[in-house]
Amino acid sequence: MYKFPEGLFTDVRIEKQVTNNYSIRNGEVENNSDICTEGAIIRVYDGKMWYTSVTNELDKIQDEIDNLAGLAEKNDDIYNDPAIKNFGSEKAEIIRFDGENDLRKITSAQYEELISGYIKACCDDSIEEIKQWGASYGHGHKIKEYYSSKGAAIKQDKQSCQLYFGFAITVDGITTNAGKFYRCLDFDGLKGREQEITAERDRYLDYARNAVDVEAGDYTCVLAPVVTAMFTHESFGHKSESDFMLNDQTLRDEWVMGKAVGSELVSICDRGDMLNNGYTPYDDEGNKACETWLIKNGVLTGRLHDSKSAAVLDEKVTGNARAQGYSCQPMVRMTNTYFEKGETDPEDIIKGVKDGIYVYGVNYGTGSSTFTMQPNLCYRIRDGKLCEPVRANVITGSVFKTLFDIDAVGNDYILFDTYTCGKNGQSVPVSAGGPTIRVKKLTVN
Amino acid sequence: MKEKYTYTQAVSNIKVEENEIISFDKINTVEHSFRVHSDGFVGVQYCEGSMDEDEGYKKANEKLALKRPYKFELETGVRHRDKTEKTVSDKELMDMTRTALEHIRSKYPDFTLKGGFSQNVSCMLMENEKGLDYSNRDCTVNASFSYKHKDSKDIYDGYFSIGQRDFDMDKLYSMADNFLGCFNELKELPDEIIIQNQYYEYLNMLKGALDAEELSLGTSILSGKIGEKVFSDNFTLIHDVSDKECWHTCFFDGDGVTLENDTLTYIKNGVILRGYADKKIADKYGVEHTGSAYRDFADIPSNGNVNLRIERSNKTIKELLDGRLSVVPVQYSGGGFNEKGEYTMPVQLAYLCDGEKFLGKLPPFTLVSNMFDMFGKDFIGVGSDDPVFYDKQILVRMKLGKIGE
Repeated sequence: MYKFPEGLFTDVRIEKQVTNNYSIRNGEVENNSDICTEGAIIRVYDGKMWYTSVTNELDKIQDEIDNLAGLAEKNDDIYNDPAIKNFGSEKAEIIRFDGENDLRKITSAQYEELISGYIKACCDDSIEEIKQWGASYGHGHKIKEYYSSKGAAIKQDKQSCQLYFGFAITVDGITTNAGKFYRCLDFDGLKGREQEITAERDRYLDYARNAVDVEAGDYTCVLAPVVTAMFTHESFGHKSESDFMLNDQTLRDEWVMGKAVGSELVSICDRGDMLNNGYTPYDDEGNKACETWLIKNGVLTGRLHDSKSAAVLDEKVTGNARAQGYSCQPMVRMTNTYFEKGETDPEDIIKGVKDGIYVYGVNYGTGSSTFTMQPNLCYRIRDGKLCEPVRANVITGSVFKTLFDIDAVGNDYILFDTYTCGKNGQSVPVSAGGPTIRVKKLTVN
Repeated sequence: MKEKYTYTQAVSNIKVEENEIISFDKINTVEHSFRVHSDGFVGVQYCEGSMDEDEGYKKANEKLALKRPYKFELETGVRHRDKTEKTVSDKELMDMTRTALEHIRSKYPDFTLKGGFSQNVSCMLMENEKGLDYSNRDCTVNASFSYKHKDSKDIYDGYFSIGQRDFDMDKLYSMADNFLGCFNELKELPDEIIIQNQYYEYLNMLKGALDAEELSLGTSILSGKIGEKVFSDNFTLIHDVSDKECWHTCFFDGDGVTLENDTLTYIKNGVILRGYADKKIADKYGVEHTGSAYRDFADIPSNGNVNLRIERSNKTIKELLDGRLSVVPVQYSGGGFNEKGEYTMPVQLAYLCDGEKFLGKLPPFTLVSNMFDMFGKDFIGVGSDDPVFYDKQILVRMKLGKIGE
């Protein structure tokens, strides 16, 4: 296909994407557009440095390869480079989304009807505190091709569609934004969500009317599954991405395999082959997805790799080299990451709390030594019962301590397909999941 | 009537990991938005890469079937602004990276750096059949590094970044001296917490609150307060695309609107003067349009394109501090504003500062404030000078929140 220069490792990734967006706000169509894009990244490695070029002109890829090769130094031993040894060399074609479920076949009439139905079912003019509402639909379909001088030739596709329905609820001059967001790999998955959306609307209406400010302090916290998912991703998931610790002895000593890093109730896994938002059957270095248990029963058992990190740490590649798009280089990223469910009924988890906070929803979170979450709806727990809604601004804890402080894990596991993860300026779709969990102490402000 | 946006970008990027240069990347992209206006509607065709104009307009014409409304007169005007001061070759950029790495690595061997140098050359064009012909070019060189001390158990400890049209290496070295030089010097938090920081994040809530549609619908925290004095006498907020204090901002908006002196004041001495509105929002709610339309390359423009800066004091940061010490947050995330305008932010890394030089590292803490105090009674000012970050920065009093064990 391409003439790859000798004495250099070369890879080419081509991406072709179709996206549609449609949104209505307060009854007016705000957006109705479709976009087709295509582009390629060409990379040449000589054992010392990568030389890369990004272009929209796919008929000039060979020229780009030749130009980059002119900048690099020929290295006859390049295929014995430890990182290059780890690059994939398989040939595969995994096209899952070109049949009846192909989102490119969804017409504007279909998604306009979908949105129209939700507007009829979910907008209630009698609720005077709702000052604005908005609904949106979008879908994207991408075909990726990957070719390398090691012989890799992989063609794969991915698609997703999303629905958002939101409300601006204003009480006493304070506006609370509420809404439900869904993302699925097929159109039918977005149907039949009316009751969930209206229930969420009413829950946040109650919050806007009745929430009281939390008294800052340390609390026992029960995290709803969506919050556990965020916590799992932010507090531990990013620390399993091994590119941060390559030649850092302090971190390698801290994150040594077999070390107890949490309570025995904690098991966390990442899998790119699940048909969810982080679906990545082959990564952007041509390696196949696999199941990687990061923590099993509280013990560190694995971490996520690209070709370089696996070579430096002398571990196996895990298929986690991912790039945001054709203009970006891959790096170690999560795919579908989840906290394994336990055996306790969620109601029993709440019953075990004398005085604490139930964290129902969260805007976003971050994770370093201290992890943080910005909740958007919490309830006070008293004597094992959910009480009034409370307004809390941020919840923090030490990663190193909190994983040990998890003393109950629910049997109500949910995997959420709505996440987008940011790292070093690149955003990639991921899924995160988990059950209800209880943490003995977190700081709430 | 035909109209076109074109955005071209040429980025050279030299990436550093673990103190070594690992890649040289070239990104050259061009985006087009072909737009055909007819009978109060616009058809829009977006394209990445090259596309024949006739083909682009033909496809845009077909998109008129989507009935995207645009009833406004197209703008006219001719202006070409080029803010480029200097461009460097790829070799010069590579040499700059090598020189900087060698200097910082040898002076601070206990730190691992990740980041690199980049040069960004951008050009935005807008033209239409009524004679509008605008272009806006700019070029900056940026150096950004996250750093990690060898004994730290964090993924990284902090971050510093500098962008300039004519890159001055001494300023980068001065930043490295501040951020790395006293990392192991531990200090206590002062009794009075005066935050010294670039202020972009602190304006997030205020920016949302000045949306003319939110103001009109009563969903802004500032609804009903136009004409009222809400903030400090010293607080004046200006939309500024003059590019004196920022880069790669365009002097025309998505509707092709330009502003006198490329500025517009939204809050004057604490009094709220207006909200921002593009032509569509201005028409819908009967308010003035403020040249605030985002360019949507695939659809009609949308409201919200404002580039806000706080008017500077005539005093330097040190003069504003008047002998007091400041706190400079470096590594902070996870908090922000809530719907009431209350601000809570956990800070993982901050330094004690005399206004210009860092004196030592502070223990982790949580900041608490709210939008009205931040730009009201607790607002001290924006310095006339640019120490520490080589960018405009605010001094504001905040309180400490609950700190976990």
